[in-house]
Amino acid sequence: MKTIQGFALLKCITLAVCALSALVVMGTAAAKPPLSSAEAEDQFNMLMEAVKKGDDLWHSAKLGSNGLACGNCHPDGSATNPHTWPKFQTNLGKVGTLRGMINWCILVPLMGEPLALDSEEMIAIEAYVMYTHRGVAIAPAKDEQHGAVPVISGPGYPTADEGNR
Amino acid sequence: MKKLSRRDFLGMSAKAGAATMFAGMFAPTATSLMGLGGVAHANTKKISPFTFAVLTDAHLYDIPNHKFDGFLEQAVADVNSINPRPDFVLYAGDIGQLGKEAELVKGKKILDKLKMPYKVIPGEHDYYLDMGKAWRGLFGDEHWSFDHKGTHIIGMNSILVNDFWSMRNLTPHERMGYMEELECHQCGLWGVQEKQLDWLEKDVRKLRPDTPIIIMTHSPLWDYYPRWNFQTVDAPEIRMILRKFEKVMAIHGHVHQVVYNRIGNINSAGLISTSWPWPYPPIELPYPDIRMNRADPGNFEDGLGGHTVDLSEHFDGVVNYRAFADLLPDNVKRGVKL
Repeated sequence: MKTIQGFALLKCITLAVCALSALVVMGTAAAKPPLSSAEAEDQFNMLMEAVKKGDDLWHSAKLGSNGLACGNCHPDGSATNPHTWPKFQTNLGKVGTLRGMINWCILVPLMGEPLALDSEEMIAIEAYVMYTHRGVAIAPAKDEQHGAVPVISGPGYPTADEGNR
Repeated sequence: MKKLSRRDFLGMSAKAGAATMFAGMFAPTATSLMGLGGVAHANTKKISPFTFAVLTDAHLYDIPNHKFDGFLEQAVADVNSINPRPDFVLYAGDIGQLGKEAELVKGKKILDKLKMPYKVIPGEHDYYLDMGKAWRGLFGDEHWSFDHKGTHIIGMNSILVNDFWSMRNLTPHERMGYMEELECHQCGLWGVQEKQLDWLEKDVRKLRPDTPIIIMTHSPLWDYYPRWNFQTVDAPEIRMILRKFEKVMAIHGHVHQVVYNRIGNINSAGLISTSWPWPYPPIELPYPDIRMNRADPGNFEDGLGGHTVDLSEHFDGVVNYRAFADLLPDNVKRGVKL
């Protein structure tokens, strides 16, 4: 047992030394960001397209059959708590995923047809929900109802302090 | 010389008012004592104690046997079962969802089952398909007041926005679609606007400062969470007009949740709906202990209900939230002082 551990340690050290030498040889090339800023912007814009599509679906009655949309109960994606998944969810009766819960909401309160888990629509909805919670710490099973990320600027309106609290 | 508009005038008075309010903190008056300790009675006229009921935010769809129809029916039956019977019922807006006449007609049919008189104000979901035409046809004036057992009760339309649709050439359906979204990015902040401010000023001009005042609007008369229009943009002007009164009770719909605030002489309470509950926005509540529990998404009744407001001889009020399910922490179950 001890021997195996010792061997593994030796292997680790060797690998680390090799990696370090490689880094020295490659010099600044290794520190180069994986994407150019133009590439990063393109990829971000593609994400934003999905977020926009998810935003539209979120506020559309077409996912269900009784007029309701996700946004009726979850303005700005709030109270979806995407940072707490996967977790045991009573409604699902098992440890489930955010996508599973999205489908539960489509099936039960909206009385619609669940989406394929890897469909473009499902990914767009997930993108919207996650984007409205950007920066919130991942905390599986945390018992918390989270609002959406407050809007500081851009669309929406700042809260004026009228000295009322 | 530039003519002073009401807004300029009120703006100036607001500054003067703020100074007086600070002074009030050091020279205790009945009002300031109440604000600090909640013990002293306001020097309002004595009233004959009574109870009224409040319902709001049914958000009915033009779909037969929709679940929300049943929840409004349930709330109406609950109010009818209260003994002794409340004197009247107030409805704080959003009978419909998409502003269709059929939604409003369905709502009126259900509300007509109330065994006592009721008064209604519009919400944005009732209004922006035809700019309130069908609503006015069914329910009458968008703002009103009446006197009851020594109190003066006011209802106003607080969901008026500036025209965002003409320049975009939106159809009435598109306009309603924008307004239907709580976090609408294009609609702007809403309020009661000039005409109603004029009306309010005239309505209360001759009332003595010791008159007990109750005011109902769809949205809060304080700046809660503007992104979701949890606000009334001209609330400061309304508060200024009502500032002369010893005590004002304000109740509002729109927020679909238990929430409370006090500003100066105005105590406000938010109402729960008969459609769906809303989560608290991501800000600190002014009174964090007065809130509801998280609703269970698997129980469609959870988060919903109606209300009664009990008023004592000294115009102390208590809002009783009549939740359909186990929504309320014990302190709220006991009633919220208004």
